[in-house]
Amino acid sequence: MASGVTVSDVCKTTYEEIKKDKKHRYVIFFIKDERQIDVEVIGARDEEYDQFLTNLQAGGAGECRYGLYDFEYTHQCQGTSEASKKQKLFLMSWCPDTAKVKKKMLYSSSFDALKKSLVGVQKYIQATDLSEASQEAVEEKLRATDRQ
Amino acid sequence: MSTGMLYGGDEIGALVFDPGHHSLRVGYAQEDTPKAEIPAVVGVAPDESFKVEPEVKTEDGNVSSKPSQNKYYIDTTFLHVPRANMELHSYMKDGMIENWDMFEKILDYSYEKIIQSESQYHPVLFSESPWNQRQKREKLTEIMFEKYKVPAFFLVKNAALAAFANGRATALVIDSGATHTSAVPVLDGYVISNAVVKSPLGGDYLILRAREMLDSLKIDLTPAALISAKDVVREKDIPRCTRKKLNFQPSNSWMTYMMKRTVQDFQQTVLQVAESPYDERFVSNIPSVHYEFPSGYHQDFGNERFKLAEGLFDHAMLGAGHIAATSAGMCDVDIRPALYSSVVLTGGNSLVQGFSDRLSRDLQSRTPGSMKLKMIAANGTVERRFGAWVGGSILASIGTFQQMWMSMQEYQESGKSQIDRKCP
Ligand SMILES: Nc1ncnc2c1ncn2[C@@H]1O[C@H](COP(=O)(O)OP(=O)(O)O)[C@@H](O)[C@H]1O
Repeated sequence: MASGVTVSDVCKTTYEEIKKDKKHRYVIFFIKDERQIDVEVIGARDEEYDQFLTNLQAGGAGECRYGLYDFEYTHQCQGTSEASKKQKLFLMSWCPDTAKVKKKMLYSSSFDALKKSLVGVQKYIQATDLSEASQEAVEEKLRATDRQ
Repeated sequence: MSTGMLYGGDEIGALVFDPGHHSLRVGYAQEDTPKAEIPAVVGVAPDESFKVEPEVKTEDGNVSSKPSQNKYYIDTTFLHVPRANMELHSYMKDGMIENWDMFEKILDYSYEKIIQSESQYHPVLFSESPWNQRQKREKLTEIMFEKYKVPAFFLVKNAALAAFANGRATALVIDSGATHTSAVPVLDGYVISNAVVKSPLGGDYLILRAREMLDSLKIDLTPAALISAKDVVREKDIPRCTRKKLNFQPSNSWMTYMMKRTVQDFQQTVLQVAESPYDERFVSNIPSVHYEFPSGYHQDFGNERFKLAEGLFDHAMLGAGHIAATSAGMCDVDIRPALYSSVVLTGGNSLVQGFSDRLSRDLQSRTPGSMKLKMIAANGTVERRFGAWVGGSILASIGTFQQMWMSMQEYQESGKSQIDRKCP
């Protein structure tokens, strides 16, 4: 069951610019006029994770957003001394507890539309507070799939 | 921006119905709370005004008795009055609508008295239990289009609505209502039906246990509706109240229902779930709660408060924590971490004091080490009791959702089975 909210083409092209061209570090999406998911902020390649978090929350405590991030970390291969650099794309829905129910409903029931439009994302994260959205928490989630 | 359907240039609001065993929640989409919460029982009594009518002669000369005429009593103010020969009927069974005739009476009442508008003007969104049957979904669709002539209709699983209203498209929804508690995994807004786990331990179970305890203490449970006056008595003294004089005996079903309501108030005021498995030594110094019954009898309740509520958790197979973990365990390994990190608590019975803390503790001990547990429980009692209704209210008012409805035209062209395609 979904809200019927659609995804703008800009979302898809911006996503491809990150995925293929590594042109940006992240992108923040918002739902415009309760109709369409659109790009709000694009983060430059050299920006830090904190800036992503700041922009994700720029709407204030009552707002929800989506964020896509090209995350990098080093992975220690087991049994060897080699460390490899990993890059993973994650898509996050940000619905803080303090957001109005209306916003939570709108963003959560439209998340699937965005998921389906952005093909190739490695991890989906639902976050209601910083314990789920922080750099450490995200890294832990991304690493969890490496161990297998 | 449009928030409803347009008819002759007027914007008409959609309606949201959320049927449960305890009550039916009904109101306008976009509003914060339902307009009414109607008890899920219908009172039926023979209509005396028909009895005096003469017998009818049929064409072949036989005398046929006139079909018996009944009067229906709906909603608290009408139900809570003793009436001669009034029997109460429930129309719900196992979380689903069972008695359609009775349910239609409730719908008639809702349109006439609560909505006060004609059904043909308002699109209708209904919530349904995660295990609702195909034939029941089609039946409801048929009734809404054929009898109520609604312009558009939609059905959504109540667990999905509750998850969305709490900001999650993927969640493990723990819904504790009157007749059962269920653990329902929701993935991207869709229920994973084969991993739903149910337990019959809900609010009614607590009422049953409380009733046993109160009966063993020989406490007078005469409902307020039968009491005309009462004196102030000292704690634990025999109550002195005057009963209303009736020239008939209220039916058993009415008495049972009214006593249940009496015990329900006691249960909601007094009961509390202990933080960890109940142990008399630890709870003995916890404050007791003073409670006065409609009869005027009053006393303190201490340990009983915890002992009674413990049943929701201490059962090996049916406890709330157990069914939650079982449900998660039946889902694909890949999505389990997402479920454990999104446990959404909803339903009126989850408001029993201490419920969410205990569930959180209980579930923590069952969460696989590699996963993180996160429980999401709305603070407001309205959002918890009416979680699904609130979710439906918002969904039905979203502009883009207006294209999702199953319309009257679609119904006429494709029939009731279209509901399974439009609202899987
Ligand atoms: N504040 C409260 N404290 C404890 N129990 C409550 C409270 N409010 C409602 N309940 C209980 O919740 C149950 C009804 O929950 P609800 O989710 O409305 O059920 P249903 O969906 O079956 O109608 C009843 O058993 C009622 O006693």
